[in-house]
Amino acid sequence: MTVQTRSSSKVGAYAILVIATLLALFPLYWTLLTSVRSRVDIFADPPRLLSFRFLWGNYSRVLNDQRFRDSLFATVTITTGGTVIATVLGTLAAYQLARRATFRGRRPFEAVLIIIRALPGIVLAVPLYELAIKLDLYDRPIAMMFVYAAINLPFSVWLMVGFIAGVPLELEEAARVDGAGELRTLWQIVLPIIRPGLAATTIFVSLLCWNEFLIPLVLADRTAQTLPVYVGGFVTSRTIDWGAMAAAASIAILPIAILTLLVQRQLVSGLSLGAVKD
Amino acid sequence: MTSTVAHDVGATRAARSAARRHPLTRIGGWYIAPAWVLILLVIIVPVVVSVWLSFRNETLSAVDSKFVGVDNYRTVLGSADLFSAIRVTAVISIATLLLQLPVGFLLAVVLHKELRGTRFFRSALLMPMLLTPVAVGLMWRFMLNADAGVVNGLLGVIDVAPVNWLGDRTMALFCVVLVDSWQNIPFVMLLLLAGLQSLPSGPLEAAEVDGASTVQRYRFVVLPLLAPVALVVVMIRIIESIKLFDIIYILTQGGPGTATQNLSMLDYRYGFSFLNTSQAAALGVMMCVLLVPIYRLWVKATR
Repeated sequence: MTVQTRSSSKVGAYAILVIATLLALFPLYWTLLTSVRSRVDIFADPPRLLSFRFLWGNYSRVLNDQRFRDSLFATVTITTGGTVIATVLGTLAAYQLARRATFRGRRPFEAVLIIIRALPGIVLAVPLYELAIKLDLYDRPIAMMFVYAAINLPFSVWLMVGFIAGVPLELEEAARVDGAGELRTLWQIVLPIIRPGLAATTIFVSLLCWNEFLIPLVLADRTAQTLPVYVGGFVTSRTIDWGAMAAAASIAILPIAILTLLVQRQLVSGLSLGAVKD
Repeated sequence: MTSTVAHDVGATRAARSAARRHPLTRIGGWYIAPAWVLILLVIIVPVVVSVWLSFRNETLSAVDSKFVGVDNYRTVLGSADLFSAIRVTAVISIATLLLQLPVGFLLAVVLHKELRGTRFFRSALLMPMLLTPVAVGLMWRFMLNADAGVVNGLLGVIDVAPVNWLGDRTMALFCVVLVDSWQNIPFVMLLLLAGLQSLPSGPLEAAEVDGASTVQRYRFVVLPLLAPVALVVVMIRIIESIKLFDIIYILTQGGPGTATQNLSMLDYRYGFSFLNTSQAAALGVMMCVLLVPIYRLWVKATR
């Protein structure tokens, strides 16, 4: 469906797009600008929107902070582990949902995914903290990987079901006739075809793991502290070092956000509880 | 780009009906097992533990704890904080929907015109949704700072007196709604855009032939056809405003007073500020009850 466009409405449409884009990007621009500014420029009144002296100091202050580097390392480790677990288990489950017409436990599984998606993190965080203390799993990256994987499992399942269901059965048929088993068919036929979808799923789950705040806030202390918690720590200090905050925030958010932008088209079904397909 | 809307062709439903037609799709039943193990260990066991905790008087410092029946539920239900938190949660849900649905729809409609440059605008407009919520909270806290923030700075340029954005009860709640909307309007836009792109062209062409104006076409053809997607969007936004934690934690920590303390923030307080694990668990169990209508609504929306 396309809506016909007259030139007068075109001007209006561009006006809306430009204003919305400015509003969407200004906070990001302002943060990046703050991250390369001196205190004097940061607090200039009236605010200077454009001119400034370029400064790396905020970045070097953050990068030299051992706690920042530890957090970065922990974030990469836990994000990677959580994403791998969620994607592998999600793909296997999605294979069955897409390729086995009926089985007992389909409805409960679909229901539990919705419930995980809707469950407020804090409801889980309270008992997880108790369990982590009792089982000596507090501040352990390995434990956090599994938690990250579980809370993001719904996204990987919903995305992968859509991708796998889109593979023509005839292709699998050929492999099966040649004697390939189910797992081998998944691995050698299905996954190579949906490689872009698999990449989108992996990237999207990584983004969600990377951004997770409440779980590491509650389950981690020093070893497993992640970037969002490190960045969030700036608010608790009496006088906030806004330059360093902006630098840390920029490092924390930009790489993963830009990566996700590349796969934006594939994400709709994952974002909508599997209800809307793009 | 083609898309389908799920009230009739959901991802799993499509898969199911395709699967039924084909004899090959009788693969084994164990592929789902590892996912169940993970869910059991990380979701089900903790929820059960939570229920157990909620009937005891466990605190983070307690040495010996015992069964206390429904005392925790009585305490939580009797506290003024709970009703304030319910009110804040409801206000945030409703206000964010009222702001995000119209703006998201407007942007989806404009993007759907596929004007030159749409790809750039679409990417730029999606950006806020991909940023770490904690960092988003910090960015805005910095910009809304009453003394040195750029928002008051720019308002000063046009001679508006500085506003105490995060220090005033009403303003702070407004700011939470504003920042949440800034981050999540892209999501609403993206889903409604997918919905628009999947609309059948027949009814619209018919309406045009019949001489319907643009407004009439949207009012009587597009909006009704878009309703199922809109329902999914509304549901997810309600879920998200109950879950909302990161932005509030960073922006206001629930304050000033309890002006922006929603249910998630209150539960965090119980557990990790007052260190009263059992009361936190009791409130958590009560929050789970909210999942029942949400689940019902999902079943309705997708079937």
